[in-house]
Order: sequence, then structure tokens, then C-alpha cells
Amino acid sequence: MEGEMLKGHLDMIVLAALSAGPAHGYAVIEEIKRRSAGAFDLPEGTIYPVLHRLEQAGLLAGRWVTAESGRRRRVYSVTRRGERELGERRAVWEQFSVAIDSVFKGSRPWHNPA
Amino acid sequence: MAQPGVISEYAERLARELDFDPSLARGVRREVEDHLWEAVSADPAGDRSDAEQRAVAKFGDPHAIAAQFAVVSVARQARTVSRAGIFVVAAVFMAMKARLGWYAVMEYPAPPSGALSAVVLSIDRGAFWVALLVAMVAWMYIGTRPIPSALTPDYRLQLRRFFRLCVAATGALLASVLCDGVLTSIRLAGTASFLEAVVPLASMAGEVVCAGGLLWSIRGMTRRTASASRAARMR
Repeated sequence: MEGEMLKGHLDMIVLAALSAGPAHGYAVIEEIKRRSAGAFDLPEGTIYPVLHRLEQAGLLAGRWVTAESGRRRRVYSVTRRGERELGERRAVWEQFSVAIDSVFKGSRPWHNPA
Repeated sequence: MAQPGVISEYAERLARELDFDPSLARGVRREVEDHLWEAVSADPAGDRSDAEQRAVAKFGDPHAIAAQFAVVSVARQARTVSRAGIFVVAAVFMAMKARLGWYAVMEYPAPPSGALSAVVLSIDRGAFWVALLVAMVAWMYIGTRPIPSALTPDYRLQLRRFFRLCVAATGALLASVLCDGVLTSIRLAGTASFLEAVVPLASMAGEVVCAGGLLWSIRGMTRRTASASRAARMR
């Protein structure tokens, strides 16, 4: 999928991936890949500024825990505000998706003349 | 063949790119190292060095990641300063109330009812309420702006407006503290013992420290914003 197109929706994608339960950055990326069947494959580091930004906006809460490996790990969870935001964005997306579908249904498939 | 320490070298590089915000750099470094080691342990290939190289390559360019963090850092700074503004105005109010309480307990004589006192008192009250009001507007303004994924011209404009609000609130607060100083010195003019004046002087010192602290945090915010903006522009 086009990187720029994906970046525009990254906040919603991250919130959706975390809606299943608290997770650290690596697990969020794995969850996004799993749910999108590998279609969403961004540079993994791109997720971290998004996580921090959503935390700063109060949509995620982060806390440090000690993993089984003994390493310190930051785990994120969706806040109530984040859940509300995700619900609103999902509703907008569904409307948009239905509208785009309707537009595409009225058009003919493109054939390469070459 | 991968060199030993590929992950720590990468994390170090990223932390250097984030030097505009040392506490963010420390946290991100720890987080990124954990991520990369997790990726290495999940790598199905047997060669650990190659797995480290792959993990680092998949993570992306540290310059680009740091540029995305720049806006997060600036937003965090601005929100911290907005909360500090409210806290400082509240602290100045409490110091002022403590001083007035002390005057009552110690049965200080009423302040001389001269024209100077009346003017200074009205400036003091007006400046204090302006400081509180503007600090609250600044806090609400920056707290309700969505944080963009990059330092866009719109967000820069919002930060400039926020900075002006902070300067206005701090200016009003400094005027109020200055007036408090004048009123306190008028009130303490006839005080016989130093002990009686300790609480008013301590509360005045507290007000000065609070207002100075707010100025200092605004200065810190502008410096960090400038270096984060440079970091974002350079990439």
C-alpha cells in the first residue's frame, strides 16, 4: 500500500491495533501486520513517534514494565478518550468507504491500451 | 557480516539525533533497543548478526524518525509550560493569602490608606487576574490543539500564539509580584522585629521564585522548540 496514504491513517490504525489490549511497540507492529495480512508494512520506527504523539494527546497511556527478558519495556493502552476517538474515526471512515465504493461502482475498470 | 553492537550503535545514533530533548532521547533509546532485541529473537534465521542488521534496516532511518519526534517534543514542552503557568499563578495566590493570614494572626496594623497604596493595590489585583485568565486561556488553547505528525506551518503559528499568551501571562504575573513587593515593603516599614517579618518576606521570596521559574521554563521551551524545529527542517 502507498506509504503516504497509510501515514494519513496511522493514528487510527495504531489505536485500532491497541484496542485489543495493552501492548508494546513491537507487538503493535506485529498486530498491524497480522490484521492487514502484511499489506501495511511501514518502516517499524515510524510507529514510535505515533505512539508518543497519541500518548501526549491523551488517547494512549504508557507505562514502563519489566519484560520476562529483564529488559525495560514501554507498554501502551487505549484510554477512554482514545476509545471515543477511535469510535468516531471508525464511523467517519465507514461513511467515507461506502461513498468511495459507490463512486467506484459507477466507473469502468481501466484497461492499459499498450 | 554484521559488526557486534549493531543495535546499540543504532540506538545511540537515534539518541544523538534526539539531542534536542534529552529525556525523550533516553526513553526512546530504551524503547527502541527493546524493540530491536525483540525483532532479533523473533527472526527465524539462525545468524544473530544478520538478524540484528535486518532488525535495524526494518526500523528505518534515524534522521527521519527523529524528525517525527521533533513535533512530539515541542508539543510536550508547550503543554508542560501551560500547566506550569497555572501552577505558578496558583502558588503566587497562595503565598499572597499566607502573607495576609500572617498579618491577621500577628495583628499587624492596617496598611496606610495613601493614594500610592490604593493605586498599587488595584494594579496588583488587575494584573493578577489578567495573569490567571491568560494562563488559563494558554493552557486551554495548547491543550485543545491536535498534535500533527510534522511541524506544519499551521502548528508553528499555533505555537507562536501560545508563546505570546505565555509572555502576556508572565508579564502580568511579574507586575503583580512587583506590586506585592511594594505593598509588603509599605506594610513592613514599621515592623519592630525581624521574626515578625519572616513569613511576609518568605512569601515574597516564594512569589519571586515562582515567577522566575515560569520565565525560565518559557525560555527553555523556546530554546527546545528552536532546536527541534531545526532538527525537523534539516531532515
